[in-house]
Amino acid sequence: MIARLRRMPVTWRRTTMVVVGIALLLVVLAPLTSTDAAQQAGLPLLTDKLWFRIATTVAMFVTLASAWNIIGGLTGYASFGNVAFFGLGAYGTGVLVSNLHWSFLIALLAAPLIAAIFALVVGIPLLRLRGHYFAVATLGVGVAVGEVINNVGPLGASTGLFLPIMRSDRLFFYLMIGAAGVAVLSTRLILKSRFGYGLLAIRENEEAAAVIGVNTTFYKVSAFVIAAALTGLAGGIFAQWNSFINQENVFPVTYNVEMILMAVLGGAGTLLGPVAGAIVLELIIQALAGGGSASVYSQIGLGVLLAVCVIFIPRGVIDFFGGQSRLSLSYLRRTLRETSA
Amino acid sequence: MSLLAVRDLTKRFGGVHALAEVSFTVEKGEVLGIIGPNGAGKTTLLNCISGLYRLDGGDIRWDDTSIRGMAAHRIARLGIGRTFQIVRPFPSMTVRENTAMGALFGQPQGRLQPHEAQKQADEVLELVGLAEKRDFPVLRLTVPDRKRLEIARALAMRPRLLLLDEVMAGLNAVEVEQALGMVRRVRESGITIVLIEHVMKVIVGVCTRALVLNFGRPLAEGPPEEVLRDRRVIEAYLGERYARLQEAADQERAKPTDA
Amino acid sequence: MSQFTQQVILGLLLGGVYVAVALGFSLVWGILNIVNLAHGAFVIIGAYVTWALFAHLHIDPFISLPVDAVVLFIVGYALQRGVINRVIRAPVLFTFLLTFGLNLIIVSVLLVIFTGDFRSVTPSYSGSGLQLGSVTIPYIRVAGLAVALVLAGILWLILNRTRTGAAILAVGADRDAAQLVGVDLRHAYALTFAIGAAFAGVAGGIISTFQSITPTAGDPYTLQAFAVVILGGLGRVSATVAGGLLFGLIEVLGQSAPGLGSGYANAIAFAVLVIVLVVRPQGLLGRLA
Repeated sequence: MIARLRRMPVTWRRTTMVVVGIALLLVVLAPLTSTDAAQQAGLPLLTDKLWFRIATTVAMFVTLASAWNIIGGLTGYASFGNVAFFGLGAYGTGVLVSNLHWSFLIALLAAPLIAAIFALVVGIPLLRLRGHYFAVATLGVGVAVGEVINNVGPLGASTGLFLPIMRSDRLFFYLMIGAAGVAVLSTRLILKSRFGYGLLAIRENEEAAAVIGVNTTFYKVSAFVIAAALTGLAGGIFAQWNSFINQENVFPVTYNVEMILMAVLGGAGTLLGPVAGAIVLELIIQALAGGGSASVYSQIGLGVLLAVCVIFIPRGVIDFFGGQSRLSLSYLRRTLRETSA
Repeated sequence: MSLLAVRDLTKRFGGVHALAEVSFTVEKGEVLGIIGPNGAGKTTLLNCISGLYRLDGGDIRWDDTSIRGMAAHRIARLGIGRTFQIVRPFPSMTVRENTAMGALFGQPQGRLQPHEAQKQADEVLELVGLAEKRDFPVLRLTVPDRKRLEIARALAMRPRLLLLDEVMAGLNAVEVEQALGMVRRVRESGITIVLIEHVMKVIVGVCTRALVLNFGRPLAEGPPEEVLRDRRVIEAYLGERYARLQEAADQERAKPTDA
Repeated sequence: MSQFTQQVILGLLLGGVYVAVALGFSLVWGILNIVNLAHGAFVIIGAYVTWALFAHLHIDPFISLPVDAVVLFIVGYALQRGVINRVIRAPVLFTFLLTFGLNLIIVSVLLVIFTGDFRSVTPSYSGSGLQLGSVTIPYIRVAGLAVALVLAGILWLILNRTRTGAAILAVGADRDAAQLVGVDLRHAYALTFAIGAAFAGVAGGIISTFQSITPTAGDPYTLQAFAVVILGGLGRVSATVAGGLLFGLIEVLGQSAPGLGSGYANAIAFAVLVIVLVVRPQGLLGRLA
């Protein structure tokens, strides 16, 4: 029952698991490789600072996409406001470290907590909305929270907030990997549980779920809160890692759109789909940015990528590998015919 | 004490009264048929009982306790299961998984584990005749089978009262016969039933009592045969002219015995 | 004149801008069921067209408004026909992602062309205005409100007095039935989107007369347009007008509240949005679904 509920054909699942497994193994072992060993093996990049940054960013998006998947993929509420949780987590940790001089690791614990409490408060009214209304209202949450913080003096206002610099690429790398692991593990536990079935029922037909006894409000608010806590955790790690946060770098709507695209492309509602989606898409995004920070052209690239993905693969790449369709011209033509006017 | 007592139930949409002061009771073990022309408020009534709609007036009592304003999932766990006229399966799940969802969430006592729910689902599928198709994805089911699945999912909740919303509509004669058998089996297992139906054969065939709604108000109530002969009911369904003709024909037929 | 009356007048004038911005957004949402996240970008293209004509050819901003409309009409028609039409039947999430992507592309291209510098349109009369007590009400804002109301009238006429409007409304009400009675679906869709974009363009022209423009200056207008439509209710021109004026009032009064300032434009829009959605989902003038 469980395996089938994940709607992932066995062959594709195995392939993904192997790919993700190898990727994870490499990722975990790589930093342990000494510079000498790496050079001997002809892999000088492995201990490079740039490599660490990219790998940490990828792990961050694995966390974000997996967290989004819990509310968007499993519960069917496509949130455009998860970035608010990221930003709140970042500012939660940031303020405690920068203003109150807490030690980072203790301050980090506050990040998921703050995000979760916020999700509880806004989730109760917002999760009564559906479709466009839910999408735009959540979009507004991210923008509005960012704006409010931008106006509050003690939070650095528009200047931003500076945290004392901690130079440890390895620490942040492992923390992000840890966050990603927690996100994937949470998803797995949810998928196997009664709670997970309740979420799926809500996604597939909310009224039918209610009349068979699913406490829909409690379930969807819980899913929102869990997603928020995981997203907030990633935000908290980001704050110290980047040691500078402002409205632009922790509340960008583009982050939210990216996490959605990752989850949807990889296969929303599946365990490993968002992981695969995040790894592939973030590497593409990094390549577009050319290893530097986001430029105008990488933004155009992301826009084109979005358009291409949405137009040609509205059902996610899972279709291609699921044996239901092959990536072929006839498939693309059919997809276009089915969804266009 | 009645199992379910509806008193002065009122429901408005905008300014329109969908239900106006509807009162009736459901006794343990009976099969109550609710009939009435399209738009009479039958489905609205079920939606009020199962907690999907908020009442604008009146009260609904279950076991003599008010369930007005109670959330749908809590009403479900009190032992009221229902089906939808337009079926609402969980499309990504199989027949068995759909049914197991009822057992997993809807039972009044205890929390089942998924594998236990699945075992109970198999028993229910046997009862409604879907056992062979239990591993089908629901999207492969025919319309009659989808209706069966609606019932199976509700039955898996082990309800004391089952609300059936037009489960026979669109079935052919043979399928209606099968469905009737199933309703009888459900009743024999001790579940009280309220069903909405347009097929008169069903009303006469299984119902112990019938309630007629028209424009959101009760029009007639009583044994099915009597209710269906009621002039007001025939008028509501077929128009006044037909009712007059019907009455004339009845009188015509009655004459020879008079003589 | 009291402080409050001044605020009300300023609010209504600002509201005119929101009416202009929301008309096209509402049309596209109501008919095509698309919440166009690139709407703010369309607005800002219009603003840049007006600016370019003013800066290089010294054309008065109000005279260039029809040019904005034509340019955006063409852009809108092409985008709908070429891109958006392909996902018109896909779930909400996908049209959302697609229009977000378009927004990203348009804003970035504008950055490349015009850079991020602030651009202003300053005709000779931009400083003059009506003196009301201690406050000056610029003529330019009054003209903006007038243009917005004219736009609303034009949209009403298009929808209710022309064959094209009848076709658009038919498509919005029932796509399949409209097709059965001979409406060219793709053309009707593209036309609707193009008209929506043209209105956004004119709104951008108005905006350029009182606000410095940058490529990202359009972003808040998308959320604000949504809030206006929610406030008024979807589906009627009069509802959008009422929603826009009311939203302008709320924003001006809200920003004058102690502790708040002009930095809270999005937060106010969001607060209005959530309160209305939760308290009265059909909008103030909307019909019950």
